[in-house]
Amino acid sequence: MRRDLALKFHHYRLANGLDVIAESDPDAHSFAAGLYVNTGSRDEPAEINGVSHFLEHMMFKGSKKYSWEDVNRIFDEIGARYNAFTTQENTAYYANVLPEFTRRVIEHLANLLRPAIRAQDFNTEKKVILEEIAMHGDDPGYRIYDAAMRQHFGKHPLGRSVLGSAKSIKALTRREMENYFRRHYGPDNMVLAAAGKLDFREIVALAEEHCGSWKASGAKRDHTVPSYTNKHKAMVDKKLNRQYTMAFTPGPSAQDDRRFAARVLGDVIGESEGSRFYWALVDNAIAEDADFGFYPHDGCGSFYVSLTTEPKRTSKALKIARTELERVKEDLTDEEVERAKNKIASAIVLEGELPMGRMRSMAGNWVYNKEYRSLEQDMETLLAVSPESLRELTRQFPFNPMTIVTLGPKAVKPD
Amino acid sequence: LAERYFQHTFANGLTLLCEKMPVVQSAAMALHLDAGAAGDPEGKSGCASVLADLVLRGAGDRDTRALSDHLDRLGLHRSSGVGVYHARFGCEAVAGRVMESLPAYADIIRRPQMPKSGFDAARDLALQGLDGLKDDPRQTLLVKLRQLFLPPPFGRNPMGETKELKKLTLKDVKSNWQRRYQADGAILAVAGNVEFAPLKEEVEKYFGDMPKKPRKKIITERPAYGHYHERQKSEQTHIGVAYPSILETDPDHYVIRLAIEVLGGGMSGRFFTEIREKRGLCYSVWAGYTSLKNYAGVLAYAGTSNERAQATLDCMLAEIRRLSRGVTPEELSRAKIGLKASLIMDGESTSARAGAIAYDFFIRGRMRTLDEIKSGIDEVTPDRINDFLRRSEPKEFTIVTVGPTKLKMPE
Repeated sequence: MRRDLALKFHHYRLANGLDVIAESDPDAHSFAAGLYVNTGSRDEPAEINGVSHFLEHMMFKGSKKYSWEDVNRIFDEIGARYNAFTTQENTAYYANVLPEFTRRVIEHLANLLRPAIRAQDFNTEKKVILEEIAMHGDDPGYRIYDAAMRQHFGKHPLGRSVLGSAKSIKALTRREMENYFRRHYGPDNMVLAAAGKLDFREIVALAEEHCGSWKASGAKRDHTVPSYTNKHKAMVDKKLNRQYTMAFTPGPSAQDDRRFAARVLGDVIGESEGSRFYWALVDNAIAEDADFGFYPHDGCGSFYVSLTTEPKRTSKALKIARTELERVKEDLTDEEVERAKNKIASAIVLEGELPMGRMRSMAGNWVYNKEYRSLEQDMETLLAVSPESLRELTRQFPFNPMTIVTLGPKAVKPD
Repeated sequence: LAERYFQHTFANGLTLLCEKMPVVQSAAMALHLDAGAAGDPEGKSGCASVLADLVLRGAGDRDTRALSDHLDRLGLHRSSGVGVYHARFGCEAVAGRVMESLPAYADIIRRPQMPKSGFDAARDLALQGLDGLKDDPRQTLLVKLRQLFLPPPFGRNPMGETKELKKLTLKDVKSNWQRRYQADGAILAVAGNVEFAPLKEEVEKYFGDMPKKPRKKIITERPAYGHYHERQKSEQTHIGVAYPSILETDPDHYVIRLAIEVLGGGMSGRFFTEIREKRGLCYSVWAGYTSLKNYAGVLAYAGTSNERAQATLDCMLAEIRRLSRGVTPEELSRAKIGLKASLIMDGESTSARAGAIAYDFFIRGRMRTLDEIKSGIDEVTPDRINDFLRRSEPKEFTIVTVGPTKLKMPE
């Protein structure tokens, strides 16, 4: 029997609005579960920027029932591979364990999301967050990304940094965090996703037992449409050796059916090997790194360009990149679309073989679309992407206007 | 070996390893050639890296673009790189496609075109990579730590040295290819939905007559050890600590792995608990065990703001030293569960398995089954680990810091 046919999807909504979704795979050796919360830095008031990410850390500091030592110890006792992340729009907590620990891992994840936020833990963790911000300060990749997002989205909350600034974090109070938690961590604003070897009745029973008493919070996201600045900016840091460039231009949203074509287009133009950017910029060493891709958000979306070059080659590289973006509208070939699709098809197969990969893909899609897509559907949609749909996409999203930011020893001002 | 594992060494010295994983659709291939950075000729560091890039720029009758397009058409996710011992080429995709890629990989290894323009670009990219390293204080630290701690030439940065790379010629690289891209000591590992018999036939057809040449023995020297500070105006001070340990082939190697799991693995590990959770000194802190064929050690890292760097270093060293006073039965039991769970979860990934059997064969001369590793972990008792830790007190520390100010080093 083909593996993708053995997978089964299940969905159940608890009375308090918590969606429980699962895909069972009888052949899997492990089990993955995650709680995805529909909140991130774009949902924060500007004064408390960084609270979503800081709160994510506080979840690991314990609940009424457990201290932080207990939280870490229990995860390690069940041999979990676990982590959490915060983006502009999502905060997720997830773990991969052996099937015998299903019960304990769901109980533990649920417990995690009802944090105590104790004063002493809050103050200690604030130092860790400040260290994380300092660490990003030593990484030009993060610096250019944050600066370019800010520049592109302007005053729109998507332009805010996920980590916040040292200033906003230092000023943040426990009370502000607790209020934010109450507003955004209601069961109606999250999904519990599971994949791998599992029994769905057991998952639902566990969700009822551990999350059933949570109160809905009616959290709403502000969907104001961004007005892009499209301005260029040159940031100078004399101590850097390389010049870093990042550019954003509008693309389809996470809800838009054109997102599948956008992924293929992203790979045709910017995959690390064999793409248009590779041949035009990296093969000949004009750029050390040249990347193009698709970055969907809730209600809007972006394509991005990212370049790392010698300072004296930046202007040239940027010009070539922009020429390629124009050329692809004219001379896209069937062959290159086919190659990109084949690579994405492999990625779908490989990701589909790991319960963690399935859980993340399922939850990531559910957060935006409240729909399940099977491996088969993903494959079919991919196969249906035609060169013509890519051409159509470039007419609807013509990579213009564009916001461009450079960071490095030279003030490189794109024209 | 169980019917999951297969191996065969061809007359020319190439070893084929296979792990059959019937429930997956994919396969992953890992090809390791005895052409790593440690074998770079004196004064020509970076040669192996430039070569591993160059061979992909056209091979057989396909030029660079035709070759790349061919591999992409198969939908392969490709990887390549150079480590201490090996030049590594790998790919993963639906199993049939990986099998189809074998003739092209034989071309890459055996019939690369190595054009001059490709060489210039590959060397230029290597130089740019070294330049970029200066913008990354954490990587700078890890490179320096390996340089001081591992016996030369094993501590070399595989990326090479700028001065030497600038002088490297296409002729140097070609002669290295001739001498080092050969069958003896090469390992080709495949894990996934494949049958061994047809795989062996294909590999024999494309690699079976690959020439066998005498290999050059790498002479090692004593490591430099000691303390080193590199001044950088960074936001954080980056700290690296290393000390020698037992080899991967030592009967006690499961013991050291478990001990280092207690020290620096997981969030209930001692580093995380004492340095991050209790004191809030840093965001990133870890310890790991690493083993070469004839030399092994423990490497630890922390990144912290400059005014708290001394406290962080002192705390790291205190925890490393405290390890020789032993671990609790609870700590040992968590470490065992953690290592075994990782093993089973990695067991679901074809690329993780292909890499693991290739490494195992290189270090031990044989593959270990997942069951063997599991029982190796289970056999470690609290008495055994504590007796081991008492006997092997960490010493001969190498300490590297990158940041604005020098720290006070231990006696």
